[in-house]
Amino acid sequence: MSICISADKILYNFLASKSDVETSFNRVPDQAVKCGFGMQGVCCRLCSNGPCRITPKSPRGVCGATPDTMVARNFLRAVAAGAACYLHIVENAAVSLGEIGRGNSDLPLKGVSLLNELAGRLGTTGSTEEEKAVNLSNMVLADLYRPRSEKMRLVKKLAYGPRYEKWAGLGILPGGAKSEVFDALVKSGTNLSSDPADMLLHSLRLGIATGLYGLAMTNRINDIIWGEPEIRLAKAGFGVVDPDYINIMVTGHQQSLIGILQDTLSSPAAESIAEASGAKGFKIVGSTCVGQDMQLRGAHCGDVFAGHTGNNFTSEALIATGAIDLVVSEFNCTLPGIETVCDQMHVPQFCLDDVSKKQNAEYLPFNLKDRHIIAGKIIGAGAESYAARRKKIAIDVPVHGYDDVLTGLSEKTLKNFLGGSYKPLIDLIVAGKIKGIAAVVGCSNLAAGGHDVFTVGMTRELIKRDIIILSAGCTSGALENVGLMSPSAAEQAGPNLKEICRQMGIPPVLNFGPCLAIGRLEETAADIAAELGVDLPQLPLVLSAPQWLEEQALADGAFGLALGLSLHLAIPPFITGSETVTRVLTADLEQLTGGRVIVDGDIISTVNQLEAVINAKRSGLGL
Amino acid sequence: MMMKRIFIKPELCEGCKNCQVACLAEHSPSRSVWFVNLSDQSSQPRNYVELNNEGRPVPLSCRQCDEPECVSACVSGALQRDPATCLVVHNQKQCAGCWMCVMSCPYGMILPDARESKIAVKCDFCADRGTPRCVEACPTGAISLIEAPSPDTDGEYYVLTGGEQQ
Repeated sequence: MSICISADKILYNFLASKSDVETSFNRVPDQAVKCGFGMQGVCCRLCSNGPCRITPKSPRGVCGATPDTMVARNFLRAVAAGAACYLHIVENAAVSLGEIGRGNSDLPLKGVSLLNELAGRLGTTGSTEEEKAVNLSNMVLADLYRPRSEKMRLVKKLAYGPRYEKWAGLGILPGGAKSEVFDALVKSGTNLSSDPADMLLHSLRLGIATGLYGLAMTNRINDIIWGEPEIRLAKAGFGVVDPDYINIMVTGHQQSLIGILQDTLSSPAAESIAEASGAKGFKIVGSTCVGQDMQLRGAHCGDVFAGHTGNNFTSEALIATGAIDLVVSEFNCTLPGIETVCDQMHVPQFCLDDVSKKQNAEYLPFNLKDRHIIAGKIIGAGAESYAARRKKIAIDVPVHGYDDVLTGLSEKTLKNFLGGSYKPLIDLIVAGKIKGIAAVVGCSNLAAGGHDVFTVGMTRELIKRDIIILSAGCTSGALENVGLMSPSAAEQAGPNLKEICRQMGIPPVLNFGPCLAIGRLEETAADIAAELGVDLPQLPLVLSAPQWLEEQALADGAFGLALGLSLHLAIPPFITGSETVTRVLTADLEQLTGGRVIVDGDIISTVNQLEAVINAKRSGLGL
Repeated sequence: MMMKRIFIKPELCEGCKNCQVACLAEHSPSRSVWFVNLSDQSSQPRNYVELNNEGRPVPLSCRQCDEPECVSACVSGALQRDPATCLVVHNQKQCAGCWMCVMSCPYGMILPDARESKIAVKCDFCADRGTPRCVEACPTGAISLIEAPSPDTDGEYYVLTGGEQQ
């Protein structure tokens, strides 16, 4: 049986050996024939006159919609859906922060210095940390819930100064984030907007709301609750799984929910329950972005966190090892495909947020006040599952991953690592030792050459050319599992970058963690730009989401474009059916925000293009 | 001798027109389904999806007739039946644009080109590909590629039903 290939050879061999387990990798060949209209974004099924499709003989939909209108509507809806996802996450995080501040939880705030710092920056009042937590939570939620006619108030304080002015000038400062999503759905409805330019500008507003709130604010709130990242070496890959423990696999994006398991699963009570079942204890096994987030804050997780195993499309394989006893999910990427594997491996599923409700999962509605009850149910079910299934299920954990992945990179820890300022990095860029920065972000997909094939291939080629990589998202899972985030990866870099990495003991690919950390990359870039006294589009920095998967990635991408960055995608975002939308996104936008989309499905050609962008920006800075 | 033929099972067609997108892509500069200009009204697919009398979609393309009317009608010699492949081949350079083929094809599968209306355009079986793009693009199996015995072969006579040889 032919299956999708992966850049991760051990993973591929493991899946190929499991002929009795069906995963996404097996389903790729059966879905190889794609719909050309869908690929180009010119299938419209908004109304019962359709679905209408664009061909030379049928150049407009029944309603008169042109390909430009169809593509813009489809694109805006996708960006709105993606923005909605991240805004849901920040909403939940803010609610948790408020609950802790109000004393409705026994959870401590592990990042109070950040809370105080942020309160100062945002003008959050409060004489105690608890009050500040409540007030910060309220400020964030108030901005999310404003009508669209009221601009979000924190944007000015959160955005990089020159960008804020640019956005104000373009009229793309977002109103209340949820209202922006809501009205995006309204205007992209049947016989409403037909204006591609207006819909693309709306996408940029959604991008700003996504980036500043859904990404960056979520990170800050989680840092305040669970502790700020610290740079450390960690184990990553399937090798983190120890079959002697009751292994609770977590999938999602919300440490604000999953985090309640950190102390409860390592409590003496939990340990004695585990021992009674014949296990050494409980472990949280990280999968997808929430695992990446826990890895990032690994310094505060304790031993109960086994480590991060891999990205979205490794999750089915992880369950297929047989060593997982329970799955707890709270968001994507919780693939529908895990359900059959869970059934086969006798793994019960729990869900803490009904937005990621799996058919055969038990839903435990999340409420911070009930955290001990929720955790108690998970502990009980985990122990029961372990006792019941381990006699029946064969365990096969492949030797996989690396023990020395450099983790914990953030906008702050990188700066501190460099001595409290980005100047050393800037000096290396000025000297040409580091040619530029590529932020390799976003998802993993099973297209673009196979699982992580483009991401890994492109990254290897970029570092060969002395371009340093910052990674956030499922790309991190990909790159750490092929060794590119271990210090020894320096050997794969070009001569200058290799020398720097060797001296500093770092890999050429820096692990910022989950896709939420795209917000951290923005802050890092803004800090560098501020140090240089320039705006973001002038930096020798490119953004690539080579293996973008879904709507959230497009919302992230809209943020990148609003920031004025060149954004590479290996697969077009379903826009090529519209000449106007394609032209605006790949060319004209550069005159507005400074950003543009580069679509290229070939690794070498992509790297040539990205290097050319970096060289042009270097010239612009007189380097 | 065996020959390759496009075999249509109309009952499997869902009317997605993916065969048309694939055909347009194959005959466009990029050859890519991502990048072919679907709004270019001077381009045309060489295959069609039409509704039959019952309102069901039916994929249509050149039947590569054993005794092609278009070849008989062609005055310039642009249309020939290739004895090796048994395909009806159209040499665009030799085409005079007289439309005798267009008028004589009983299935309407050869038409003036949409760009300049100077020469005829028909299915070229994706000349240099092993499998025509429409066959690869069909998600339901309504359009498939079969090996059929050439009518020029002496001996047994084959009847095709449902794509199976009997």
